[in-house]
Amino acid sequence: MTSVSSVIDDLAGLDTEDFSQPKEFPLMPLGQAVDMGHADDGTPLIDPRIFNSPEFFRNPYPYYRILRDHYPVYHDKLHNTYWVTRYDDITECYFDDEGFNTIPKGSSSGVLGNTQLELSGIEHRRRRTLYGQHLVGESLKNRIPAIQHLATEMIDDWDRAAEEGSEYVIDKDGVRTVELGMMFANEFPIRVVCEVLGFPKESQDDFYYWYNSMMSGLGGSDTHKVGLEARQHLEDYVESMVEARRIEPTYLYDLEGNPVSKDIITKLCETKIDGDYLSTEEITSNIALVVGGGGETTRGAILNMWYLLLQAPDQFAAVCADDGLWDLAFHETLRHSSSIGGQPRHNSFDIEMHGVKIPAGSLMQMVDFSANHDERIFKDPETFDIFREDLYSGKILRSGFRKEGRCSHMAFGVGPHLCPGAWISHQEAVEGSKILKQRLKNPRINEERTPKDIDGKFAPTGIISVRGLWLDYDLT
Amino acid sequence: MASATINAPVAGRNGVVIAQRPKTTGPGYRTYEIHQRERVGESTEKIKPTQLISPAYRRDPYPLVEVLRENYPCFRDWASNCYWVTQYDDVTSIYADDANFESRSKLWYYGIEDFGRDLRDEIPVLEAQARRIDGFAESVANDLVDQFDAHSANLATEFAARYPLELLAKVLGLPADDVGEFAGRYWRAQRGTSWEPTLQVDGRRALDELVDYFEALLQARRSSPGDDMISAIAGLELADGPATARDLAVTVLEGDHQTLHGALANMWFLLLTHHDEFTKATSERRLLKLAYLETLRHSTPVLSAQRFARHEVERFGRLIPEGGLMICSAAAANRDPRIFDDPDSFVVDRKDLCQREPRGMYRADGLASGVTFGLGKPSKHPAVPEDRPRSLYAITRDTAVTASSVLLERLEGLKLEPGATPYLTSLLLGEMHTCWKLPVHFNKRS
Repeated sequence: MTSVSSVIDDLAGLDTEDFSQPKEFPLMPLGQAVDMGHADDGTPLIDPRIFNSPEFFRNPYPYYRILRDHYPVYHDKLHNTYWVTRYDDITECYFDDEGFNTIPKGSSSGVLGNTQLELSGIEHRRRRTLYGQHLVGESLKNRIPAIQHLATEMIDDWDRAAEEGSEYVIDKDGVRTVELGMMFANEFPIRVVCEVLGFPKESQDDFYYWYNSMMSGLGGSDTHKVGLEARQHLEDYVESMVEARRIEPTYLYDLEGNPVSKDIITKLCETKIDGDYLSTEEITSNIALVVGGGGETTRGAILNMWYLLLQAPDQFAAVCADDGLWDLAFHETLRHSSSIGGQPRHNSFDIEMHGVKIPAGSLMQMVDFSANHDERIFKDPETFDIFREDLYSGKILRSGFRKEGRCSHMAFGVGPHLCPGAWISHQEAVEGSKILKQRLKNPRINEERTPKDIDGKFAPTGIISVRGLWLDYDLT
Repeated sequence: MASATINAPVAGRNGVVIAQRPKTTGPGYRTYEIHQRERVGESTEKIKPTQLISPAYRRDPYPLVEVLRENYPCFRDWASNCYWVTQYDDVTSIYADDANFESRSKLWYYGIEDFGRDLRDEIPVLEAQARRIDGFAESVANDLVDQFDAHSANLATEFAARYPLELLAKVLGLPADDVGEFAGRYWRAQRGTSWEPTLQVDGRRALDELVDYFEALLQARRSSPGDDMISAIAGLELADGPATARDLAVTVLEGDHQTLHGALANMWFLLLTHHDEFTKATSERRLLKLAYLETLRHSTPVLSAQRFARHEVERFGRLIPEGGLMICSAAAANRDPRIFDDPDSFVVDRKDLCQREPRGMYRADGLASGVTFGLGKPSKHPAVPEDRPRSLYAITRDTAVTASSVLLERLEGLKLEPGATPYLTSLLLGEMHTCWKLPVHFNKRS
């Protein structure tokens, strides 16, 4: 017979030294999840501390699979969040921007300021168009030569770097070893953003500081203060520039030096909403968004794409033989290993989803990572296959996510908040990669310098993308 | 203003059921101007959000919440998606503000709000509870002391933790043989409201076991009632049908024992580690009551309470969105130097703490009271009519004092075991902050 004393002694026994340590989860072989216990009917349990663990950041997919299969809406009481993980649910929520509004004062606004990320409905549409129109269609087409030129310029510079003894470009026995992140992918998107915004070349070093500090210092991070300082620094810089351009407009030029159009900041300075010009604060916040959104994401796309392609030699050979396949490689990369995990939403009304009651105003995390690996949509989702028949890889869809019986990946989101930089980031990654391919003879991953996983094979891309990619290629 | 009509619930394509969805005809539910009131976030370099869910917080939250209270009085914690409110006046202003902030029941944390009815506020239930507690408070304490060894005991586990459970069994009128098993299920059900998944599953199972167990008991008491609380519940005449075993289980679950358990353990921890205060508090029963009140201020067992914003509301210089989770830190408020002199000191007869029950308003006689979660909700029934039972707050206070008096009478020369270093901790993040090892030495009187 149980006694009250034994019940209490069991509890008091939990007060041990071990219990005072933070929970640690072991690193698991790919495809397997840590056993976090089971319910009576065998359903695997999810310990919400896993979401903060190194194991999860290294390879979140087994956990997302558990969520999709057993908890399509998971109420995480530790983080006060509802995780939504199935493709169909997420797309439905993204398209219903009345029912699922964007987060006021979310963690990004803690650094970026008030941006269109956090607006909904007509307020959002109006402002998004102001900025987005400069990143698509004709404006984008006008920029492609400049993008190609920037890529060529950067690769040209490798010879000089090698001669000067750079630690990221090393020539030995007719083979060049290069770290693609430091020598190309980290900076290339920044140069493009600089060019698009019409920032002078001298601002590039600052740019690197702004975007690194702001992106790693979003609200809730341990380096939030650094992020805020960078935001202030950017604001001071932009303020003087905006004031100058309100008086003297500046232009974008083609390769021959002819003005093509006014640059974005100049256009923003001339834009009116409700009969009044945009404030400097509004312009700054949205520039901060472009700075943050335009760097890390494209950088991750380029590195992940090369990392995955070079691990699949057949597919790499196919891409080399046919430039048209880079689009497929780009989209499959973003499906398989996106740089963006998902977007937060608040439900505007009391709802019930998969039997879970969600009070109005709850934080719902839409996990794009998980939607991209939803086996209900993509067959054998853990496999990287640029020829897969269930992924839509055509021109990016603005108002849908399904065409010709195929589904889009979710790396850009879908619906009203579809990434306005999707088109330009696509061009950057594809045009940049085409030029890389032309210049790099027989490229392969340098096994020695590339981080390995617990099984000795290449590490998975995980949540934060490949951080550095060492390549070898032949010089002659 | 946008006009709104309410539609009937519709099930969407993926099983999304949207209840009472207003059809807005206005410009939208959130305008750019409202949104723009705040600029970028504040710099909060003095604390990292991860510290607030760290083992250090579980062990000693006071230094951490002091950083919040003195620097970021309404701290936006993005990592845990909540707002920390830490100054005394702010915390009590939320507790007292039912119009803007709501608490959610334990059933909500289980995700089963329709499971059963909470009958704690029914007058016959309150009466039975008061009657049984008053009737057994002293004898249960004596029974426990009888079971001590002649010279030593762990006061935390053999007394503070056991006493509320044994007393609850008396209140419910449980057969003696069932008490151990009941206590296990009761604890498991309480812990199941946690964020921890194994506890959730186990607690849910325990709740079902409680219902099964109560089924026969409720039937029996309905046919031959006694003066216990189960009989009172069985005999209730409710508008929507007689009470069920589920209602009984929910009533037991929602009313918990943490204030009594934690207050007893923390009070004796403090008294035994503060010799002068011990001498003072034991000189007369009136001062023992003050020691109890000061304990709830100095070392409240329930560190914080959760409130949710009912709608968008501007408070503490922030725009709190609808549904926003406010962590009202009693630990921080109780040590607020704006309210209490030398707040980290345990002073039994402090002059700036009110000496009576403030009945939910947190101030009486112009003085602040300690903030404890159990006191968050004022009694639904006024104290004045003589035929009404005392509030649960008053009952708990009197019971703690009675139980402590029994200890003093029966245990001569009560003192801490030499070399012992007791401390307070939470077993798991979010659980009661109390002492689990309090070894004492004494000469037992029979």
